[in-house]
Amino acid sequence: MASEIWTEKYRPTNFSEIFGQEDIVKRVQSLTNSLNIPHLLFAGPAGTGKSTMALVIVKELFGKDWKENYLELNASDERGIQIVREKVKNFARTKSIGNIPFKIIFLDEADALTPEAQQALRRTMENYSSTCRFMLSCNYSSKIIDPIQSRCAAFRFKLLEKKDIEKVLKNIGIKEKLEISDGAIEILYEGSEGDCRRAINLLQSTAFVSPIVNESIVSTVISNAKPKDIRTVLDYALSGDFQMSREKLLDVMLKESISGQEVIKAIQKEIWNLPVEPELKVKLTEKTGETEFRIVEGSDPFIQLQSLIASFVLAGLGK
Amino acid sequence: MKQTNWTEKYRPRFFSDVKDQDLAVQKVRDFVKNFPKTVKKALVLHGPPGVGKTTLAYVAKNETNSEIFELNASDLRNKEKMNSILKPAIEQKSLMKEQKIILVDEVDGISVVDRGGLLELMRLIEYSTHPIIITANDIWNKKFSDLRRKTESVQLKEVDFQSIKEILIGILRNERKFISNDVLTNISIKARGDVRAAINDLQTASSLPDPSKVLIDERNKEMDIFTALKMIFKGKPNNALLSLYDSVNKPLDEIMLWVEENIPLEYHGEELVKAYDALSKVDIFKRRIYRQQYWRFLVYENAFLSYGISSSKNPNETKSGFTSYKKPTRILKMWLNNRRTEKKKSIAKKYARYVHIGEKRALYEFATVKAFLTKPEIQKELKLTEDEIEYLGKETLSNKI
Repeated sequence: MASEIWTEKYRPTNFSEIFGQEDIVKRVQSLTNSLNIPHLLFAGPAGTGKSTMALVIVKELFGKDWKENYLELNASDERGIQIVREKVKNFARTKSIGNIPFKIIFLDEADALTPEAQQALRRTMENYSSTCRFMLSCNYSSKIIDPIQSRCAAFRFKLLEKKDIEKVLKNIGIKEKLEISDGAIEILYEGSEGDCRRAINLLQSTAFVSPIVNESIVSTVISNAKPKDIRTVLDYALSGDFQMSREKLLDVMLKESISGQEVIKAIQKEIWNLPVEPELKVKLTEKTGETEFRIVEGSDPFIQLQSLIASFVLAGLGK
Repeated sequence: MKQTNWTEKYRPRFFSDVKDQDLAVQKVRDFVKNFPKTVKKALVLHGPPGVGKTTLAYVAKNETNSEIFELNASDLRNKEKMNSILKPAIEQKSLMKEQKIILVDEVDGISVVDRGGLLELMRLIEYSTHPIIITANDIWNKKFSDLRRKTESVQLKEVDFQSIKEILIGILRNERKFISNDVLTNISIKARGDVRAAINDLQTASSLPDPSKVLIDERNKEMDIFTALKMIFKGKPNNALLSLYDSVNKPLDEIMLWVEENIPLEYHGEELVKAYDALSKVDIFKRRIYRQQYWRFLVYENAFLSYGISSSKNPNETKSGFTSYKKPTRILKMWLNNRRTEKKKSIAKKYARYVHIGEKRALYEFATVKAFLTKPEIQKELKLTEDEIEYLGKETLSNKI
């Protein structure tokens, strides 16, 4: 049964269905065809096709048996390397089904693992290399320790270009009998920031409201889905009201379940749109960078963010 | 002028100087006189602080012209230490004097860290050739049950306030100072049987222009968080702040939340930035302690949270007036929110598995996808429970485009 969630329904099932990432597709396809697959490392932003690539590979390799020979783990969900190891061990213990002599383990968001956990993972990769191939995905390959990187063939996924997103959306539009205007495509692309999953989700949300997808409906859907309150947080701070700003910040973080790092990302982007002097924008960006660093180093992102909005209060005074 | 500590200067030297502890004095006198023909080889002096336990041991030394060997809480008293330090002392004769008294002070301080120390002490008592005096606050503690059997215990009672007052008057006379009778009475009562505390208060009071001030600060009392915040935010930064939180009966993590909550009530502009910068550093050291299990960092955590926050204020401005400090609310809000978003999380989890993404990412995308998650077909696919479906229903109605 086909899924009703479009990101699944229209997920490519073979190499020819993948739009964009042409170079990677070519190289991965030849590796797959030779049945000689090394460990793979997929690096790149969210929604650029890393998980899809892994799924296509296993489907090409194992055909209808793919589910028995494939284990998908998300490193940011599975608590600790211990559980990862446990699951990997259990999975790797039995032989693969079919003609291919190995199974495949896909470890998503591997950069969520601490360096220590990665060291442990490296041993696991070695121990089961005869029966398992690992595919790792990450946003930044710099967060993957060198010994793992050197054991993998690395592929860098780029943000999807507008023409690729357009192809994907139009294809869905035809199959779902939607009427998508060119302007809507433009706005969907901008809203997606090159993240294909997000583009499809935005299209499905819009189509849920109306099969006629035009600019104004898309804009409404996008602005509704955005944590727009970050701007409110900054506006309060600039107006000198630290307490309201702080309250709003906590509110946004709790209600939208967004992490400190996501907040700081939104703040960093928003600085350029603030009504302050250019020199201050640079200063605030510097402080934002420092705060992001401290969030990574510290234990309580909310404290670090308060420290940042205190600087915005000062900026509001022209300092 | 030589600055002397009156508690040392007026520590009793002979049995006759010891006030209001007649029974204990008698027992100590007999013990050291009759040793080693006493029933027990060691004597435990127990009672509240400042009533003369250690003093009595030193008095016994003076009266018998002995030498004293002291082991106190500042020495780590595990089995090895007991053996390497106490054992030779117990076996060796005194070099200069006729007799030697072994004082094991503040035995309450032998803790879990001093594993085996207490057992070793009791073994050493058995063959000691010198009288051993042990002091303790709470002899009825379970860990001392064996010690009670092996030793003779002597209780020192709280010194009554009249006796304390007499001691104080004697000291004032000698120092040629005057303090009003009312203040003396107050100090004596407030000491609650603790002579040392009373003498300390007296010395403080005698050096103040207005001696009645000394009564405001109650010793040994825990400081409440409001007072601590006041000292941090209103006062000038001073070194006493570094140990301020030691007397607050809340863990440092909680104090941190109190400080966080109340910074904006006191500080503005640059002060606000500086104070939060200090707090930000507190947080970083906290994480480092946790990660590296390196507890020395606690010093820095504490310094930034006290002195650091206090010194963030503009030195030219005084923070006067009353501030009504607020209880931290963040943890409560987080807890309430967690309960509210429990369903959202469970839905996001199912969705995440289904579309091959992480839970965190699913939560982040929730706002985008929640509209179409209300489709019955999708809810069936994700195997959502009735509760979860109900949650989504509510969500879309309230967020209708």
